[in-house]
Amino acid sequence: MKIRADVLRTYQSVHTWTGISAGLLLFIGFFAGALTMFGSEIDDWATPPHYQMNQIQPAQQDTLLELVFTQYPETLNNVTINYEPDSSPIYWYGQGSARGFSLDDTMWHGTLDEQGELVTALRHVNELSMLVDYLHRSAGIIGEVGHDQAGVYILGIAAFLYFIALISGLIFLLPSLVKSFFALRKEKGANRFWLDSHNLVGVASFPFHIIIAITVVVFSFHDLFYGGLSQVYGDKPLFGGEEQHPEIRYELSELPSLNEIHTKVAQYAPGFSVSSINFRGLTGAHPSASISIVNDKSLMRGPHTDFIFMNPYTLEIDTSSVTNGNGQQGVWGAVVTTFFGLHFGSYGGELGRWLYFIMGLGGAFLFYSGNLIWLEKRRKKQSTEQSKSSHFMANLTVGVCLGCAMGIAGAFAASKWIMLIDVNINIAYMWVYYALFFASILTAFGYGAARFSIIGLYGFAALCLMVPITSLLGLIPQMPLWTPSSTADYGVEIAAIGFAVASILAAKKVQQRVYEGAQNSIWYCPKYTSERTCKRLA
Amino acid sequence: MVNANKIEPHWWGKTLAGIFAGFFLSIGLVGIFAWLGPDGLTQQITEEQRLWKTQFNMWMITPIWLIILSFVYLFKSSRQAWAWLGGAACVSIAIVAALKEML
Repeated sequence: MKIRADVLRTYQSVHTWTGISAGLLLFIGFFAGALTMFGSEIDDWATPPHYQMNQIQPAQQDTLLELVFTQYPETLNNVTINYEPDSSPIYWYGQGSARGFSLDDTMWHGTLDEQGELVTALRHVNELSMLVDYLHRSAGIIGEVGHDQAGVYILGIAAFLYFIALISGLIFLLPSLVKSFFALRKEKGANRFWLDSHNLVGVASFPFHIIIAITVVVFSFHDLFYGGLSQVYGDKPLFGGEEQHPEIRYELSELPSLNEIHTKVAQYAPGFSVSSINFRGLTGAHPSASISIVNDKSLMRGPHTDFIFMNPYTLEIDTSSVTNGNGQQGVWGAVVTTFFGLHFGSYGGELGRWLYFIMGLGGAFLFYSGNLIWLEKRRKKQSTEQSKSSHFMANLTVGVCLGCAMGIAGAFAASKWIMLIDVNINIAYMWVYYALFFASILTAFGYGAARFSIIGLYGFAALCLMVPITSLLGLIPQMPLWTPSSTADYGVEIAAIGFAVASILAAKKVQQRVYEGAQNSIWYCPKYTSERTCKRLA
Repeated sequence: MVNANKIEPHWWGKTLAGIFAGFFLSIGLVGIFAWLGPDGLTQQITEEQRLWKTQFNMWMITPIWLIILSFVYLFKSSRQAWAWLGGAACVSIAIVAALKEML
C-alpha cells in the first residue's frame, strides 16, 4: 500500500509521542488487567479454606434467609444469597459496600449448622483481587477526584493517547505490513527483533486493543458524555420516562420464595444458572433484586456474570443484560452489552479467559517493547556516552515495569503470611505493593537500568517462587499456612512458577546483553567483579 | 508546488482542534442520530428501550471522537483543522438546537 511520505512522517511522530507518554501507565493497566481475568481464582487461593462458611442445599436457602432477616433486620436493606460452591451461602456488609473503594470493609458471613441453626461471623473482606483490580483501573495513582480515583481519569486520558497510537502505528506500518508482518528478524540485531515483535503483537491483537481503548475512555468519562447528551436531549429524559410507577409498599411476608425467582429466571433466560441474588431495600419504596446469572456460552455484560433486575415481590423484570432473553434491549442493548463483554472478556468461558489473559500480557509487552524501540532509536552507536534522556527513560521504564510486577508478586508472596497476624490485610497489601514499587524505581535510578534489569528480573522470579514455597511449607504439620485445595488454587501456583521461569530466562538473556553486548549502549554495563564499575555509578 | 501540499506539523493547534471541536462535533452527530435515528427521541418507546438506547447513544460519542482525534493530523494546517472541525461542530450543534425547538 502506498502512503504519502509526509503522512507517514507525521504519523510516525504521533505514534512516538503518544506511545512514550502513555506506555508505562498502560503497562500497569494491562499487566494487572491480565491478572484480573482470574480474580475469583486469586481470591479463592488467598482465602483460607475455613474462611468461607459451608455452602448449604439450595432448598435450605429460604430458611436461612428468613433466619437472617429476623436476627439481623439491617439485612433487609442489602443482603446477598450465593449459590457458588466455594462461597458462603449468605453474606452482607458490616462496613463499607460493594461499590466504591475502601480498605476496611467488613462482611458478615452466615450459614446453617447441622441442627439448622444460624451461624454467623464478621470478617474482613480479604480481596487480593481487589488490589489487582485497583491497579488495573487506576495504575496505582493515589488520590481521588469526585466519586472515583484520580487514576481512573488519568488512565482515561492515557486511553485517548493509546487509541491515537494504535491508529498512527497502523498507518505508518501499512506500506511494509504485508512484507514484514510475520518476519521476526533476529539476525539483524536486537533493535530489529524488538521492532518486529512489537509490530506482530500490535497488528495481531489490533481489534482487541481498539475495543479496550474505546471502552476505557467510556468507563472513565461517561459522566461527561451523559452530561453532553442531556444537553442534546433537551427536555427529553435520559432514562426513565413517561410510564407511571405506582408506589406500593410490600410486606416482607409477601416475598415469594427463592424457587419462584429461579423459575422466573429460567423462563426469561433459558440456559443460564443463578449464581447469586442481591436483595435491596426490601421494606423501602423501591425494593429490588439483582440476580447474577451465568452462561459460558453467552457473551456476558459483567466481568463474570450477566444480571437481571427485578421487583422481588411482583417478579416483574425491569431489565437485564441478557440480550438473547425475552427483554426489549434490541440492537442497542446488544451493542452496549457487547462493548462491556469485549472489555471484560466475559465470554467463551475458561478458554476466553485464558485468551484475554494472554492478550493482556501481550498488551503489556507491546508498551514495554515500544519504550525499548524508542531507546534503541536514540542510541548513539559511536559513543559509550549516551544521552541523559535515554538514561532517564530506560531507568523509568525498567523501574516502573518491574516495580509493578514485583509489587504484585510481593503481595501474593506475602498474602498467606499476613493472614497469620492480626492486621487489616487489604492495607498490608497496599504497603507491600507500594514499598516494592517505589523501591524498584529508586534502585533503577540508583544502579542504572542495565544493572537493575538483572536484579529486578531475579527479584521478581524470587517473589513468584515464594508463592509455591509458602504453600509447600503448609505441608509441615502444625504450620498454620494452608495448602492449595482446588483447581483454582493450583492454577495460581502454576502461574506463579510460570512467571518465575519466564523471568529467569529473560534475566539470562539480559545478562548476556548487559555484560557482553555492544558497549555503545545504555544497556552495557561491566561486571562488578572487574575493577571498573558501571559508568552510571561513576 | 510540492511545498503547498505538504502537511504542516502544528501539533498543538491540531490536537486542540481534535479535542475541543472534535468533542462538540461528536456530540452533535450523536445528537442528530438521537433525534432522527431509529427509536429516536420523538418516538414512543418503553422505559426499558430508552434505557438501552440512551446508553448506546452515549457509547457512540467515544469512537467518533477518537477517530476525529486520530485523523486530525491529516489536515494541512491547524487553521484548516479548526475551520473544518469547528465549522462542522457548529453546524451539527445548530441542527440539534433546531431539532430540539421544532420536534
